[in-house]
Amino acid sequence: VSAWLTRLSPLVGLCAAVVLFLVIAPDRPPGLMDLRIIALHTVIVGTAALGMTVVIVCGGIDLSVGSAAALASVVAAKVAKGGGSPGEALLAAVAAGGLCGLYNGVLITGLRLPPFIATLGTLGFFRGAAKWLSDKGPVSASPGWMEGWVQLVPAKAWMVVAPAVWVLAGLSLLTSAMLHWTVFGRRLTAIGSNEEAARRAGVPIRRTKVFVYIAGGLFAGMAGAILFARLTQGDPTAAAGLELEVIAAVVIGGASLSGGTGSVAGACAGAVLMAFLKNRCTVLGWENYIQEIVVGHIIIAAVALDRWRRMRGAA
Amino acid sequence: VRYLMLAVMGLALGLGGCEEKTPTGNVVPPPAANSLRIAVVPKGTTHDFWKSVEAGARKAEAELGGVVVTYRGPEKEDDREQQVSLVQNLIAGKYDAIVLAPLDDTALVGPVRQAGAAKIPVVIIDSGLEAKAGEDYVSFVATDNEEGGRLAGKKLGELMDGKGKVLLLRYQEGSASTALREKGFLEAIAKFEGITVVDPKRYAGPTRGTAQEAAENLLSANGDIAGVFCPNESSTFGMLLALRGRGMAGKVKFVGFDASEGLVEALRSGQIDALTVQNPVRMGYLGVKAAVDHLRGKTVEPRVDTGVGLITRESLSSPEAKELLSPEMLKAPLPEGS
Repeated sequence: VSAWLTRLSPLVGLCAAVVLFLVIAPDRPPGLMDLRIIALHTVIVGTAALGMTVVIVCGGIDLSVGSAAALASVVAAKVAKGGGSPGEALLAAVAAGGLCGLYNGVLITGLRLPPFIATLGTLGFFRGAAKWLSDKGPVSASPGWMEGWVQLVPAKAWMVVAPAVWVLAGLSLLTSAMLHWTVFGRRLTAIGSNEEAARRAGVPIRRTKVFVYIAGGLFAGMAGAILFARLTQGDPTAAAGLELEVIAAVVIGGASLSGGTGSVAGACAGAVLMAFLKNRCTVLGWENYIQEIVVGHIIIAAVALDRWRRMRGAA
Repeated sequence: VRYLMLAVMGLALGLGGCEEKTPTGNVVPPPAANSLRIAVVPKGTTHDFWKSVEAGARKAEAELGGVVVTYRGPEKEDDREQQVSLVQNLIAGKYDAIVLAPLDDTALVGPVRQAGAAKIPVVIIDSGLEAKAGEDYVSFVATDNEEGGRLAGKKLGELMDGKGKVLLLRYQEGSASTALREKGFLEAIAKFEGITVVDPKRYAGPTRGTAQEAAENLLSANGDIAGVFCPNESSTFGMLLALRGRGMAGKVKFVGFDASEGLVEALRSGQIDALTVQNPVRMGYLGVKAAVDHLRGKTVEPRVDTGVGLITRESLSSPEAKELLSPEMLKAPLPEGS
């Protein structure tokens, strides 16, 4: 039972925040449109957070996601502008993200660099590459049907929220299944829990790690494609600082930065929580600085609460 | 030291001589060793606006003669700390003058004074600095931003027939140029008694992406608005995307600031009613010219206005609008010494 409680704690935190805002402002409850906005604003952080969850569970970190997403958005825009179909633009963005991930993985396993340092380096590299590829400015192009993915009010009413939200939901299920039920998932969790033990048990450490960073990159690329669909342009300066929001979402979701634990549902809940707070602070007419103070402390509170619960559970 | 400098200059001349003799034919003549090195520092390098400023600076470089322009912005858009470091590096690099668009009206005062102490004159463009023109720096070459905001406010009030709710999405805390536009706008719109201003002091942030999210949240809280104003290109573009997303584009009166391909297209299709435009090419040109004039001993006015205008769908085809908006604007003739 306590394991289930731990797993549900991010959702509990989210519910607490919802109730808190209902108490503060009972006259302005979130309407359908607010829910749509919150869901849509969850997509980019949430998609990148899926990849980050995999990386963090494996005991790593990826600081380059924001830059990789910006690079992927530029690649998608270039492909679309050059006459490629929206599908091709999407694939190109995801592939570009995958390549970014491969590069990270090779640096980390090949040169044995700490992930923090390797991805700090590629954070600059990918950003620079995006500016170079885009000739320093935004690349405008039509995202075609991909634009429909990010419409606040979906074309098909039964979807209720933007199709991209459903794409995120689908990807979350796949990632969760991958983590729990595949050999790859068990191997990367083993590496994150205890790398030495995993090595002795015969887990191919390097290969698994490279694939983990490729997976992280693929999700960053997907986030970049969605960014392109939202902005109708590939913006090399977009998503600066995205990595911190993504890491915050994963950590709020109950992952441990020392590896071994982390949950996809938790990371999504973390992403929703942050979008929710931004929406509420705006609707209540609070200035930006109040929002920044509040969000910062929500992150601290979420993690502190989780730690406390775990310690009590262990005792 | 003097001998060393002579030696370096001789070497530079020698190298220059070699270069001219290369057989490729179209080699640009290398700058003479005594040409003026002017550093131009924008707020960022990716916005269309700053590309136009660069075009103007390059035009001045080509026309004035004996001038080499180095155009270098902070790596990260809107990062004050990086701009401060950049200016300090330029001082260390002994440039002859610096043309600076300060990201912050106070954070850059220190570096500008350091440049002054190192006998490097500074010309401020685009955004104000909390220091004395003609003393701490040579001249302030910029749009009259408050006037631009007033023009926008008056236009929006007229478009709304003087009644309804109007929403203001601000740009970024601490940005002097946009704060003045917001101030001018509020001043002009207050003259319309039937108009209520909704100004929750929400900021769009540095990119179109952050502006879009902020705008979507704001529109959710204020669905009954009749008009919108945004004070720069990225906030206007983000608001446009948000209005489109909610099917409100074209139904709400919308006045933006600055121009780009996407914004002009929206103006043409009626989703934006008017754009307040500056003349960034002229700003870059006159900024470099002020620095060069000062170095060559001519008097430079402490305040140079680079002009501001309002462009609507109807005036899109006017010659004035063409000069400011078409891609050919980079080749448009510039007025003499205005």
